[in-house]
Amino acid sequence: MLFFRSEERVSEWCGERGVDPRPLVTVPQLWQLATAWYSSRLDATARRPGPDEIRAIFARIGLADPFWDPQADSFAGPS
Amino acid sequence: MDFDTQVKISVYRHFADTGEAPSTVDVAGRLGCTSSEVSDAFTRLRLQRLILLQEDGATIRMAPPFSGVPTPHRVESAGRWYFANCAWDALGIPAALHQTAVVYSECGQTGEPLRLEVGSAGPEASNWLFHCLVPAAQWWVDLVFT
Repeated sequence: MLFFRSEERVSEWCGERGVDPRPLVTVPQLWQLATAWYSSRLDATARRPGPDEIRAIFARIGLADPFWDPQADSFAGPS
Repeated sequence: MDFDTQVKISVYRHFADTGEAPSTVDVAGRLGCTSSEVSDAFTRLRLQRLILLQEDGATIRMAPPFSGVPTPHRVESAGRWYFANCAWDALGIPAALHQTAVVYSECGQTGEPLRLEVGSAGPEASNWLFHCLVPAAQWWVDLVFT
C-alpha cells in the first residue's frame, strides 16, 4: 500500500513487476478510508468493521470494484 | 471492560503516547498483571486481527495504524514521531489521534518525497495517488507484504 506521484508512476511500478495496475485511490478518498477505519481505534468500544460494513465504506466513497470486496473468492483484474 | 480490551487499549495508548510498541512488561506495568497474562492476550488479539506479532510471538510488529518497526511512512503530530505500516495507515494515525499532523512518505516508484499536511478537516489538496497491489480479501494472508 504505497503512495505514487502520478498514474504514470503506478504504471511503471506495475510494469516492472509484471502486474496489472489496481484501482487507484485519491488522497481525499484515502482520508475517508483512514477515518472510517481508525477514528475510534483508541476507544474501548472500537472494533474492526465487518465484511458488510467494509463493503459499505468502500461503496460510499466510490470504490465498488470487486478488488475491494473483503470476501471475494478471486479478483479478476482491473475493471 | 474485559482483560483483552484493557490490553488492547493499553497497547494503543502506549503507541499514541510514545510512538513505540509496548513490550509485555510495559503493558503489565500499566495494568498491574503479569507479562505472561499480557502475552496470552497478545495472542488472542492477533487472532482477532487487531495486532500483528513478530516471529517471537511476543513483540508487537503492528497495531494498525501504528508500526512497531521503522517504515518509509512517518507521521509527526504534536511533537511526536510515529511510523505507519503503509500509506493508508499514514493517514490513519492522525485519524486515530484526532490531531493535526504532517505525513512524510515517498513515491513507491521513484522515491520522490511526499510531505502532506493533515489538518482537522483532513489532508491538504494533493494529486498524489494511493495504490494497493493486494485485493482486500487477501490483506491478512500476509499483512507485512500487503
